[in-house]
Amino acid sequence: MANETGTLSEEYIVRVRTLAQTVESGNSEEAARLLDELTSLREKTLFQELGRLTREFHEALQSFRLDSRIATLTAQDFPDARERLNYVVSMTAQSANRTMTAVEESMPICESLEEQASSLRSEWSRFTKRKMNPDEFRDLSRRLGEFLDGICTDTPKLRNNLQEVLMAQDFQDLTGQIIHRVVQLVDEVENNLVELIRISGQGMVPERAEEKKEDRIAASGPPVPGVDVGTVAGQDEVDDLLSSLGF
Amino acid sequence: MNKNIKILIVDDFSTMRRIIKNLLRDLGFTNTAEADDGLTALPMLQSGSFELLVTDWNMPGMQGIDLLKAVRADPKLATLPVLMVTAEQKKEQIIEAAKAGVNGYIVKPFTAQTLKEKLEKIFERIEASQ
Repeated sequence: MANETGTLSEEYIVRVRTLAQTVESGNSEEAARLLDELTSLREKTLFQELGRLTREFHEALQSFRLDSRIATLTAQDFPDARERLNYVVSMTAQSANRTMTAVEESMPICESLEEQASSLRSEWSRFTKRKMNPDEFRDLSRRLGEFLDGICTDTPKLRNNLQEVLMAQDFQDLTGQIIHRVVQLVDEVENNLVELIRISGQGMVPERAEEKKEDRIAASGPPVPGVDVGTVAGQDEVDDLLSSLGF
Repeated sequence: MNKNIKILIVDDFSTMRRIIKNLLRDLGFTNTAEADDGLTALPMLQSGSFELLVTDWNMPGMQGIDLLKAVRADPKLATLPVLMVTAEQKKEQIIEAAKAGVNGYIVKPFTAQTLKEKLEKIFERIEASQ
């Protein structure tokens, strides 16, 4: 390649010198012919370079096509990853709803028990202070019986609901595993992209700094430690920042 | 604090709306409605008599920050208290929300106590300004 360029520039020098002499001697016909020759020489160089680039690009593409892993990635692994992540979303929603259903069922039971117990306690205290007549005591005794029966039917329900809340947390393990697989896929794709840039990107210009600048106001979801910068570390920092703004 | 006020909860995740609704109910606020993004929330706000808006930031359609700006730009809604509950926590975003006139900013994940405190603060200010 270096030799080729060397020969070419020698050819250029010879012709340019001859051209200068011809122009000085006033032979315009000969000068025009020499200019044409120079132009075709320039075209020849361009075509040679273009040919070389085409050959290299073709080879790079061929070697990429031969890598069947790429085909599997686009045809199978990417749609799989999308599915996996959709599954994570539905699983976590399911788990949250399961937990909240159990809580919504348990809350009224607790409220009712609390209410009955506090009313019975004040009655009981009247009884212990001997401020209760026999009729009132019979009523208290009946209510105590009902309360105890209620506890016996309600506590198994509460127990079941708590169990349900506990079990609904199984999503963490399962979704964690799924996400881990997707992360592995992303790593593989990254490596492949780096390889593609290496074999074909000799003329690559580094990205300009301002193009990399992200929109700081656009929503980007929960910050991930070690990835996202410029985020506040929790509610206290939000409060500090806002109070510094006069809130 | 009047517990009968009508509150609109806006979040694209139904689970989060449910969490907020349950927490509000626990605090005694039972008069709530829900919307899943700014586009559905805005007409509800314009036609209903809501006295508090609790909104997420990151939603499809119209984002929470744009909903906040639309509320402040509407003469009928301009003074509506807006509490933002979001996972967005870049400093620029919090400043942007403050500039747009947010009344409180809670970052996810949050606690029931944080929600209670921020609501109390918002209502204290409203009472003080009346």
